[in-house]
Amino acid sequence: MASADSRHQLQVQVLYSDHNTWLQGWLRRKLGNAFDAADLAQDTFMRILARQEVPELREPRAFLSTIARGLVVEHWRRRELEQAWLETLAQLPEQEVPSPENRLQFLETLSAIDNMLDQLKPNIRTAFLLAQLDGLTCPQIAERIGVSLSTVERYLAAALRHCYTIRFGV
Amino acid sequence: MPPAITHPDLPVTGEIASTVVDAAIDWMVKLEFNQPSAATRDAFDVWLNAQPVHAQAWERVHSLRKDFASVPRGMASDALHAVDKQRQANRLSRRQTLKILMLAGVAVTATWAVRDDVPWQRALADASTRVGEQRTMHLDDGTVLVLNTDTAVSFDMNGTQRRILLRRGEIMITTGDDITYKDKRSFWIDTPFGTMQALGTRFVVRLEDDRARISVQDGAVQMHPAKAKESLIANVGESWWLSDYAIESADTLGMRQDGWADGVIAGQNMRLDDLLAELSRYRRGRVVCDADVGDLRVSGIYHVRDTDQVLQFLLQTQPIKVTYYTRFWVAVASDRTR
Repeated sequence: MASADSRHQLQVQVLYSDHNTWLQGWLRRKLGNAFDAADLAQDTFMRILARQEVPELREPRAFLSTIARGLVVEHWRRRELEQAWLETLAQLPEQEVPSPENRLQFLETLSAIDNMLDQLKPNIRTAFLLAQLDGLTCPQIAERIGVSLSTVERYLAAALRHCYTIRFGV
Repeated sequence: MPPAITHPDLPVTGEIASTVVDAAIDWMVKLEFNQPSAATRDAFDVWLNAQPVHAQAWERVHSLRKDFASVPRGMASDALHAVDKQRQANRLSRRQTLKILMLAGVAVTATWAVRDDVPWQRALADASTRVGEQRTMHLDDGTVLVLNTDTAVSFDMNGTQRRILLRRGEIMITTGDDITYKDKRSFWIDTPFGTMQALGTRFVVRLEDDRARISVQDGAVQMHPAKAKESLIANVGESWWLSDYAIESADTLGMRQDGWADGVIAGQNMRLDDLLAELSRYRRGRVVCDADVGDLRVSGIYHVRDTDQVLQFLLQTQPIKVTYYTRFWVAVASDRTR
């Protein structure tokens, strides 16, 4: 086991020294800034390191950019959420703005929820947010998004099933 | 992947048959997202106690909702609805930008997303207001600058020109005489969509998502789009849209463009949905207007300091119903009983 581990680490080190500069350049073109590019390049290698093994690579750069592309999408999603969160905070009256540490903690939770609901169709996601976060009942949601009551119930069940699968497996 | 939400008090392993999970989820929908009858509750109790695995499934399904409970409701809802809306808008504007760039034969890069960075505008600004707030500032050169709700500006008044950068929201400018300088310096307003020079004047500039509106009350303003060579002079009483490539005549929607500086929305024959959209700029959260009442016509003077009172007034004078879903979310729809 120890030798397999160290072989894996060695492979990642080779990948890193051969392609890190290229990957950072690739990410910089995608993101438009060098700081985020350096961070995400780092994350890309960290993610490969966390895997059990690196597949035999004929096209190491295609492999790296596939992983990095996923991280770029996550990065944008996270930035969009951060923006929405800051907007929300800005609209609160001063006395209701949460403390800095709570703000960060809430953002982390929101980010986890956002990712959990990422795969859902927009209508299902909206219905679920209305039920869960706005406390609307099924008839209210049905009226709100213009679908039948039984469709709303199906949406909510699908959303819960999706969350359940992420959290507990099949 | 960001860390998954975990609950130390629940075992994570062990599968429960999917039919049981589905049943538990159906009960959740019936009991917690509806108003269940006593009979439904009794039936649920029977199901819950029928087998230990039912209780276990119920506990798991229930635990999913805990993930959401740790963020205050209004805030979580606002942030997540807002991000959905923003993503939709971003997708549209990316598609649109892409089309424009391809038409222009320009190489497509990622940098055009920069303008979406809305909340940082306030952090970068020299002066700003929150939603529902207004502020009047007297600058050294004698200029009076009024910031409307949710606005951010920066200024540079010490150079050879006087410049104000409107980052967000809406301002009214009454230019000063600049008497402490030997030669009166020119006065410029910069926006993301272009720039404009004041020619001895009072005027209002308002930013929207993809353009700025200029309305002149006194004097004149010369407008220059960010990406086109043409320029145009706006005269007293005129309103114009300034965008990256063009200047177009703007519809004032029946509203007095500088009414807000007096704390009011004032207008004749305004569409109800336009009035509500305007009103919602002064309150936290959203005011949603149903399409079937959007074209009701209203006239009058509405105070922006107390938007709830305006909604109450409209409720009394128009065939509408006003529903407060949450503190942050108000829906206006047709009242069919009237």
